[in-house]
Amino acid sequence: MFETSKLTEWLLGSGVSQTILELLIALCIVSTIVSIARYVVGNKTYGIYAPIILAIAYSYTGLRYGLVITFVVLFTSLLSYSILRRIRMHYITRIATNYTILSIVLILFLIVINTFGFGLTNMSNISPLAFISIAALSDFFIKQYDKKSLKGSALILFGTILVAVVGWFVISRDLISDYVLNNLWIIPLLVVINILLGMFKGLRIKDYFRFRLSSREENDK
Amino acid sequence: MISEIVRYNKEILGLNRRNQEYVRPFNSASSKEIADNKIFTKRLLKKELIQTPEVYKLIRTKKQLQFLDWESLPKSFVIKPNQGTGGNGIIVFYGKKKGKMEWIRPNGTTMNQRDILLHIENILEGRFSMGSRNDIAIIEERIKTDPLLKQYSYRGVPDIRIICFNQVPVMAMLRLPTKKSNGTANLHSGAICTGIDIGTGITTYSMHMKPNSLLSDTYELIDSTVDLLENKPLSGIQIPFWNDLLEIALKCQKASGLGYIGVDIALDAEKGPVVFEINARPGLGIQVANQAGLRWRLEKIKDVKIKSIKHGIRVAKNLFGGEIEESIEAISGRKVLNITEKVYIYDKSADLAKLEKYKDTKRELVKATMDTGILTSRIDSKLANRIGYIQAHKYFTKFGIPQKFNNFTDAQAYIDTNGKEICLNSDIKRLAKIVEDGEIKIRPVFSIPIKISDKIVITDFVSTQSSDSLYPITIGRSDLTGYLIDTSNTF
Repeated sequence: MFETSKLTEWLLGSGVSQTILELLIALCIVSTIVSIARYVVGNKTYGIYAPIILAIAYSYTGLRYGLVITFVVLFTSLLSYSILRRIRMHYITRIATNYTILSIVLILFLIVINTFGFGLTNMSNISPLAFISIAALSDFFIKQYDKKSLKGSALILFGTILVAVVGWFVISRDLISDYVLNNLWIIPLLVVINILLGMFKGLRIKDYFRFRLSSREENDK
Repeated sequence: MISEIVRYNKEILGLNRRNQEYVRPFNSASSKEIADNKIFTKRLLKKELIQTPEVYKLIRTKKQLQFLDWESLPKSFVIKPNQGTGGNGIIVFYGKKKGKMEWIRPNGTTMNQRDILLHIENILEGRFSMGSRNDIAIIEERIKTDPLLKQYSYRGVPDIRIICFNQVPVMAMLRLPTKKSNGTANLHSGAICTGIDIGTGITTYSMHMKPNSLLSDTYELIDSTVDLLENKPLSGIQIPFWNDLLEIALKCQKASGLGYIGVDIALDAEKGPVVFEINARPGLGIQVANQAGLRWRLEKIKDVKIKSIKHGIRVAKNLFGGEIEESIEAISGRKVLNITEKVYIYDKSADLAKLEKYKDTKRELVKATMDTGILTSRIDSKLANRIGYIQAHKYFTKFGIPQKFNNFTDAQAYIDTNGKEICLNSDIKRLAKIVEDGEIKIRPVFSIPIKISDKIVITDFVSTQSSDSLYPITIGRSDLTGYLIDTSNTF
């Protein structure tokens, strides 16, 4: 679509594969989106790693498949952990049991999809790494659930998925990825944007709503 | 909309600015390490003769836990992770079941020995700690709450958080445990937060996390407690030992070396003020509880040189007490008003142009009292009638506004519905909801010129019919900007 730049050509000829280059560019873009979401919007995510991995995984699975797998992972984790919570056991063993149950359910899920289809006939072609990456979301979700509350964890989960979907949308546009691939000067620009975001002192959009003060003019006490 | 955003930006402290402008430059890594470690904090404060809850046991390893002497524990105690955050991992035990090794939590549920062991093991494994590092479990005394505050909290221990910056207490709030918060005074767990006027130690506005809100961290203003047998109004509570609390907070700041600090102090029925913990990154919900922004307060005192703890308290009371928005220059003593002053009040028919030139204007000399406890100034309706507002009063009365309202929300709803029509009278600037003779009422506001301290100012006055006011005019804090009130001199 765009003319291949000399720098890109040189990189591709110097042992950097196009897939790796595309993935690294996606990493830069999604991490900047996470920064903006955090410091300008005030959207909480499970750190920076989870939304990046999720966005990249979605770009491999496609959003529909990715969200279905995410739902199965989270629903299973929630259910199994809610039961495991009642059993008096050590924390790490509880998480390990949760992962084991999750693996079993995911295998059953693949069998069910293979048998009934449910409009997800392409499931068997999904990259196993992308599949596992989404399954890892369970750990973030459960840790937060265990430390704080279900509601708190669910809200952060929602924030994480939202940012991941935005990230997926940006990196899966051919126009954008092609443009950035052939205009690698954008990468240092992202560094500058992140530094500027790092120095941003203004109110986050969420702060306006959180710390809304009622009009003191009218509160005559 | 844009002007509101600009105002918010100037007034409110957000997370970005808190971290960049206050936490990072003013709180060194070593000071933060002390604040994040409850054992270090206790040691440090002990040296300064500041009381902290007595530690019964420190459990560092599973072996120590194995040999824990359960019989030596009192009936009520608290288990805390040494490096916990946001109240996570704190369990309060209110009592012990008779003849059983089971302890009762504030919400009525019990935990047996095995449950407690498991919880402590989780603490040791770092489940509740910053960065999930291995941690130490602290078993310490449960504070016996001061009887005054006890009546407002659902079991648990209420505490007072005071935020200090540059050796000045900047803002404070009372945190009251609720049934939902299960004995902890943490806002995110469901506790109630009530703003405190720095000058007087009297509670003002109250809020809690909005129940059933889809968004996290959304607050809701409330008027009274929410889950007591008999709910009580939360404003107007005089916090005991107020000056001592301010002094202790500043001592903690000095000892810890934290430039920007939140100090949590509980009031023990026998011991008095006891410091729970110090916080290097205190939350910002305190602004909602006080209905005031932190940013402008912090900026006002950023460059002030504070000579002593007493000086810090004096500056705080003068600057932030009653939310007096005066300039730093005024504190130096140049503009001082007595608690009662004589002021000229101008007749409605007075020509504003002539007024500026001090010529032949119809005016009356009246006694006024300064009251930082109210926002908008007040005028006795008889005086207002005398200077020409009789028609405005008649117009106001004809609407048959209810004599009293149950709460501010109802009064506001009335204003929202009928305010526009009532304010069609050119003399009525707006309507105000006020507390008069202990009742919530709606009264008209007039703009009237007065001469105070040799300066003519057009002032908003709420016309009142209060029976217990000794003075026809009360000047509120909206009009006291730039003044200091000297309570020692009256005429």
